[in-house]
Amino acid sequence: MTGGTGFLGSHIASELLRQGYRVLLLVRPNSQVSAHARVEQLLTWFGISPKDKRRLKVIEARMDQPDLGLTQERYADLTNTIDEIIHCASNTSFSERKRTEVERANIEGLQHILDLAARSKCYFFHHLSTAYVAGKKSGPCREEFVETTSFTNVYEETKYYGERILFEKCDDEGIRLNVYRPSIVYGSAEDGRSLRFTALYYPLRTILFLKNLFMKDIEESGGKRAQQMGVKMGTDGSLHLPIRIEAGNGNGINLVPVDFFIKAFMEIMDTCLEGSVFHIVNERSKTIDALVEYTTRYFNLEGIEAVRTEDFDKQSRNGLEILFDTYVDAYKPYMRDNRIFSNDKTRSILEKKNIKCPDLDYELFSKCMQYAIETGWGANLFGKQHQ
Amino acid sequence: MISEQARQIASQCRHYAMCKIDFLETGLCPAGEKRHYVSYFPQGRMDIYSALANNLLPLTEGLVDIANTCTLCGICDKQCHFVTGMRPLKVMEALKRHVEASLSENKAVTKIEEDAVLKDLRKIVGTEWATNDPAILVTYANDPFPLKDMQMPGYVVLPRTKDEIVAIVNMANKHGLPYVVRGNGSSVFGIVFTDGIVLDMNRMKSIAIDRDNWVAAIEPGVTSFDLQKEVQKHGFRVNVAEPAATVCGNIVCTGIFSTWSNAYGVAADNLINAEFVDSAGHVFDLNDVGAPNIFAFRNEMVPPPGICTKAHVRMYPTTKDEQGLLVPLGTFDEAVALARDLSARRIGVALAVLGGHYLSTFMSPSAALADKVKENLTKSLDINSMVFMVGDRYARDAVKKMAGVTIDDKLFRMLMLGLPRLAEDEWAELLRNFEGDKYAYEIFCMEEMYPLLEAALSPSPETLAGAVDEDLRDFYAQLYSRPEMTDLVWLNMFRIISSRMARHKHVIAFILYVPLDRIDIIKEINGLFKKVGDKYGIENEFGFLTPMDFGKRAILEYDYYIDQTSRSDAERIGKAMTEIDPELERLSADIKGIKLMKYILSQGCARKEHFLYR
Ligand SMILES: NC(=O)c1ccc[n+]([C@@H]2O[C@H](COP(=O)([O-])OP(=O)(O)OC[C@H]3O[C@@H](n4cnc5c(N)ncnc54)[C@H](OP(=O)(O)O)[C@@H]3O)[C@@H](O)[C@H]2O)c1
Ligand code: SF4
Repeated sequence: MTGGTGFLGSHIASELLRQGYRVLLLVRPNSQVSAHARVEQLLTWFGISPKDKRRLKVIEARMDQPDLGLTQERYADLTNTIDEIIHCASNTSFSERKRTEVERANIEGLQHILDLAARSKCYFFHHLSTAYVAGKKSGPCREEFVETTSFTNVYEETKYYGERILFEKCDDEGIRLNVYRPSIVYGSAEDGRSLRFTALYYPLRTILFLKNLFMKDIEESGGKRAQQMGVKMGTDGSLHLPIRIEAGNGNGINLVPVDFFIKAFMEIMDTCLEGSVFHIVNERSKTIDALVEYTTRYFNLEGIEAVRTEDFDKQSRNGLEILFDTYVDAYKPYMRDNRIFSNDKTRSILEKKNIKCPDLDYELFSKCMQYAIETGWGANLFGKQHQ
Repeated sequence: MISEQARQIASQCRHYAMCKIDFLETGLCPAGEKRHYVSYFPQGRMDIYSALANNLLPLTEGLVDIANTCTLCGICDKQCHFVTGMRPLKVMEALKRHVEASLSENKAVTKIEEDAVLKDLRKIVGTEWATNDPAILVTYANDPFPLKDMQMPGYVVLPRTKDEIVAIVNMANKHGLPYVVRGNGSSVFGIVFTDGIVLDMNRMKSIAIDRDNWVAAIEPGVTSFDLQKEVQKHGFRVNVAEPAATVCGNIVCTGIFSTWSNAYGVAADNLINAEFVDSAGHVFDLNDVGAPNIFAFRNEMVPPPGICTKAHVRMYPTTKDEQGLLVPLGTFDEAVALARDLSARRIGVALAVLGGHYLSTFMSPSAALADKVKENLTKSLDINSMVFMVGDRYARDAVKKMAGVTIDDKLFRMLMLGLPRLAEDEWAELLRNFEGDKYAYEIFCMEEMYPLLEAALSPSPETLAGAVDEDLRDFYAQLYSRPEMTDLVWLNMFRIISSRMARHKHVIAFILYVPLDRIDIIKEINGLFKKVGDKYGIENEFGFLTPMDFGKRAILEYDYYIDQTSRSDAERIGKAMTEIDPELERLSADIKGIKLMKYILSQGCARKEHFLYR
């Protein structure tokens, strides 16, 4: 398995261990903390028992090198041990200025892992992709490989080209292939715990940052800067932050909690033995309106509103809006999404076990926010020393 | 009794002579100001304490006088802390205690007898201004250069006039004694030492301003700082080097280069005329028909043309709307390209590409804060390089249009005065997770951001002063409430913070001229310094790059950081230098425009055309 130190990868690895699998993680070396230490930290977070841990092996490897940075001997050893590969490692940045790194991980890295699969006795490849390989599109997206040419960012693009290489190679080599395409994954619906605080979390974090900043300015320094930005105290101790969020005319954001994702992943892996493509998505997207409502309620705010594109005059944007807009720029395509992900194949498998994607209601939202804030948006997940 | 704490501080004196100029308006060390010998300044006292700790000094009349004249006023504590983060007052107290203890134990005070040479010297300059007392000599015997051992002179003399200098040279020749000239004692390359006579120029400090010709005539003891201060009163600026260095010393030694060289040039460019006393005791100036041609350049190490006794330097006009501007950039390549473009277009009076260590150190009054800021600059703000310029409003407008994102005077002040808050994790985390196509600094520098930054950073002298030891906070708060302390133009004219480069460790700066249109070569050179530095485990970093001559050439500085008291560091730097040298020689022979500073030493008056166009 690759990507075992990531958000989804660590969840999958833990679940596999709990269910009695033997797991071998390829983890990239990191100058500050050793691969083993990083994994150990995560296993503790997951509460994996020492007994289960014994079935885990960690190898330091570099996905960006053809031989994975291993000696010939070790590489050969590896090819003799592997039965199945779960490939979760990926550069998940959306940013164009990181294109080189993103391509290196999502295309070249994938190629190197595929070579490993081809040279080993691996018979099944499980690939973590994304529903957004669909690219710039509106309307239905099917659970299969569909040719596309335009994308909203480098992440979508490289994940798409990755899939293309993947299908060809697995076909050529006679390796069975499952492609899992989640939409946007957030914390657990059970307890709100999470390991990553990007995507859904980032805009909220930005808003909380602004709130705290201006509250402090008002309470301690007379509120001059708040006033300059049109920020003032609202009713009942709330803070008025004048931010209109351009919500477009889309369906909203497609969000799935991580516990649902894991259940779905395990069930599909267990059930689908012939290989296919699966959308692990929410059948009901969350509207920006609803998220704004949760946010203002949870953080005791006023003045934030979602507006449709035609009602949003860009010229009239205030400073706060310009800033907020710039901060969340990368997430906009997902906030104004018109893509509809068909999930017939996934549903037909999950229905049998009555696995359903929970709705993100206010209660769940609150749980997730509480955990995020408690852990300093991830900064002290494992205690301060491990920032 | 030697105090271990004081000994350690004393052994770390960087010898930048910053305690010999009044750069913080605290006033000067009263004893040093009156007695002129470096021995009476904090720097000399540090050396004396080190020598005592190493058992190198007897109790002499000079030592007693030096200890007695320290009033424990504490000025040096402030000055030195600003530059090095050290608190030398502990040394001054320990020195006084040590001498008092010796006296109370009735130890004999040695009086070193006057010999024939000293008699002659005193006849020339007066009794007070020549000496052979070891407590004084020892402060002229050493600097932090790791590859040079201590060399005690026989005599130190402080002449007041050119005629006295002529007489001293003749006398030295008569006795067959070698001599060296010492400016302000800020040289750190082990080159101003002798067994014979040291001439300290500290009493020759007069400045005469010729307003009509825009020229300043200076004596050899005038420091860059003092000259800049004087000409600024008249609305002018001079191109000078490190603040505590003497201008004449710089002129003769390496020639003057600075971030202002983009507009003002280097070496002979700034020189109107100079007067010398040659090794035979003859006086000449550069306009004498028979004078040696020191505008010429020889590609070898040559002795200096003589003792510079007077220099006439150019004063440059300033405009009221000048301000500094910083351009953050994501890569070194982008920064070099921009700097070159600006230089080619004649934009920017001062202009340079700065490394991360420079900027963070300049802005932070403590080393810990500087480290944090440096990390945040690259990791959170994506700033990997920075172009710095000073220009009038038209020039700045042009740069804003060319570069897009800039940090203007106002933003710089805000950032600097709010620096401790900027270093806080919350900010860093928020910016670090930013996923857009823009560099994080692009958002950061948006004008819409200013009120937010103000709210977040609460920029104020008190906020910034929060970064230093508690007992110094009031002093720093007052200091930073002076507008010039956060003014990019002033700070770069007076360069009082460039000595901070060596705050955490002694710095060995490698300086060379490079062709600015060959960024591949510049990167190769940086790569070479890095490779060799890393190989020997020496902390190293790109320093700065200043364009000149319309973007054709540039001055490159790459820095190695070492512990000046460590033998093994000295060995490693020695090995590194032997490894780098032939590589640089090869590059310099193959590629036009590369010139190593070691060849320009003592040829600082040469025309740049003669050493850069070969
Ligand atoms: N999270 C979501 O909402 C979501 C949605 C759709 C699809 N996905 C897909 O799910 C997979 C996992 O995503 P995630 O959210 O778990 O991502 P993540 O938390 O960012 O983790 C990425 C993992 O990949 C590894 N990695 C990144 N670049 C690498 C490189 N160059 N060489 C070796 N390893 C590298 C990371 O290792 P280090 O720990 O060493 O950095 C980490 O283990 C990805 O394929 C992603 O495309 C995720
Ligand atoms: S404390 Fe002594 S050495 Fe320091 S500045 Fe005052 S008089 Fe000079």
